Amino acid sequence: MPDAGASRFRRMRDLPSSHMLGAGTAMCAGCGGLAALTEAYDVLGENTVFVNAAGCMSLMSVYPFTPFRGSWLYTAMASAPAGAQGVRDALDVLRARGRITVQEDLQVVVLTGDGAAGGMGLSATSGAIDRGLDFIYFCYDNEGYGNTGQQTSALTPHAAATATDAGNSGFPGWKKDLFALWAANKPAYAATIIGGEPLDLVRKIEKARSFSGPRMILALSPCPTGWGYDPKLSIEIAHLAVKTGIWPLKEYIDGRVSHTRMPHPRLPVEEYLKPQGRFAHLFEPRRNEAALREIQAGVDAYWAPWEAQREA
Amino acid sequence: MYRIRFHGRGGQGMKTASRILGEAFFLEGFEVQDAQRYGAERRGAPIFAYVRAAKEAIHERGVIARPGLIVVADDTLVAIAAAGVMQGLNEDCVVLIDSAESAAAWAERLNLPGPVIILPAHDTREAGEAAFVGVECAAAAACLAGVISQAYLEEAIRRELAPMGDEVVAQNLGIAADAYAKMEPYAGIVRADGTLSARAYKPPDWVDLPLEGVSLAGPAIYGGVNSELTNTGLWRTMRPVIDLERCNKCSWVCVSSCPDSAIQARADGTPEIDLDHCKGCMLCVAQCPPHAIGAVPETEALAREKAGEPVCAAN
Repeated sequence: MPDAGASRFRRMRDLPSSHMLGAGTAMCAGCGGLAALTEAYDVLGENTVFVNAAGCMSLMSVYPFTPFRGSWLYTAMASAPAGAQGVRDALDVLRARGRITVQEDLQVVVLTGDGAAGGMGLSATSGAIDRGLDFIYFCYDNEGYGNTGQQTSALTPHAAATATDAGNSGFPGWKKDLFALWAANKPAYAATIIGGEPLDLVRKIEKARSFSGPRMILALSPCPTGWGYDPKLSIEIAHLAVKTGIWPLKEYIDGRVSHTRMPHPRLPVEEYLKPQGRFAHLFEPRRNEAALREIQAGVDAYWAPWEAQREA
Repeated sequence: MYRIRFHGRGGQGMKTASRILGEAFFLEGFEVQDAQRYGAERRGAPIFAYVRAAKEAIHERGVIARPGLIVVADDTLVAIAAAGVMQGLNEDCVVLIDSAESAAAWAERLNLPGPVIILPAHDTREAGEAAFVGVECAAAAACLAGVISQAYLEEAIRRELAPMGDEVVAQNLGIAADAYAKMEPYAGIVRADGTLSARAYKPPDWVDLPLEGVSLAGPAIYGGVNSELTNTGLWRTMRPVIDLERCNKCSWVCVSSCPDSAIQARADGTPEIDLDHCKGCMLCVAQCPPHAIGAVPETEALAREKAGEPVCAAN
């Protein structure tokens, strides 16, 4: 876990007893993305302006309703970081002219799904990093274009069946490593989170807030509708994602990547895959041993250097 | 013109039902419109779909206001005014409803002027077969319309469901054949009404425009957290119920487990569920360490509330 010394969240019972994000949003029951955002918003607070790339969370603020306590600005899929630049610039102008105080300044947060983040939004994101934009890039990653029926996105994992890769083998490609893309370009902070691990999550949001410059939060977002499982399993699936090593909880600070959780021993990946309809073809009508081995080997290869380091 | 409206919850296959019925009408040589009406709603939310079919060109547009047949795939929707199930009902309109209760009970309760028919599969459907309610509705509606042959119904099912694989198609064909056969006694009960003309429309003398507060009616939203005015509790088919005797007051677990901000803790740590917004995902039920939260079917909970009885989960 991230260093608890400086955190106001020392243990589970320090988690908030109610949430700041309003109820009544149009997200699906059991939405893992909404879970992550709800937990994060308690730490981000009302002095936050969201710049929303089109996606599932377009439906967060459907006129005339909003669950937020502060502002929300809607952009096209590809241009949320550009929108964030404009908002940040405007706030800076207001600051320079003395029209708002430091206390009234707002944290600019891009809210984006993985479709926009890993595909058409990459160019605007790259530009924002180049310009050292002071913003948090919050990506809820449900591994597909969930709002339109779970078509394959750049962050869809290998072998997952989607609306566009429906055959017997699922998506033939591999999940794009958005965290590594960011980390390679020396952001102020980058972290992976998951709603099912709220303590790890709030500490990372707290830490992200303490930096300025480009910061990235990548939340794996179990999606009952797109992944094909009962909504009540969202948290269990989140836990399995972490315990199998499929979803490493990590952060990047000062040129170094470190893990906030080292699953040990790691559970076999199939424990995570089995409850999800999108992977059912790996088990029925017969087990696809080759594909299961391939997925396990990918996870093993990821962890090998980190586990060797820990053994040493 | 046949005007048929399907009501269900997101995820029950009403969109597919309307497409199958529309396709079957088309194969019979009708002009067809089939459309699904949904906006920001998700799985579990009330949605509807509709089909128009006529031998001549269809110039009507938009939602069906005067249906000849209303199909209700989930009887809990009837009580929800926002679902608009009974909208435009007149004495000629047939109501087909998937319910464990009798047609007479529904006719009396809702004071329905026209015929009420119960979707017969309800009693015999296995738990895992709920996914087929859409195809049952389409097949039953096809038979009630009386102008769609079983062969074309089956061809429509094959065409619409082909991407789901042969096994799913075969299962759906079996279920459809059963629903179609059971509706035979009522075949052709749905009337094809004449076209509606705008000329017959009498404009009102006076239109009241609602005056809303600026937090709702302004071009920008100035009222924070007003999403709470949206009652997403309507989505719920199962209700989480806390057994306070078993509750450990470790409320940080259930409060964190709820993605919808619908659980909050009192000062003493006792959690409370906000039933106006709980969508019924049952994550709190799954996560509660002492298993103090049970799941009660919403219909049962409502019936108990109405009778003044306490709502508690059977453990």
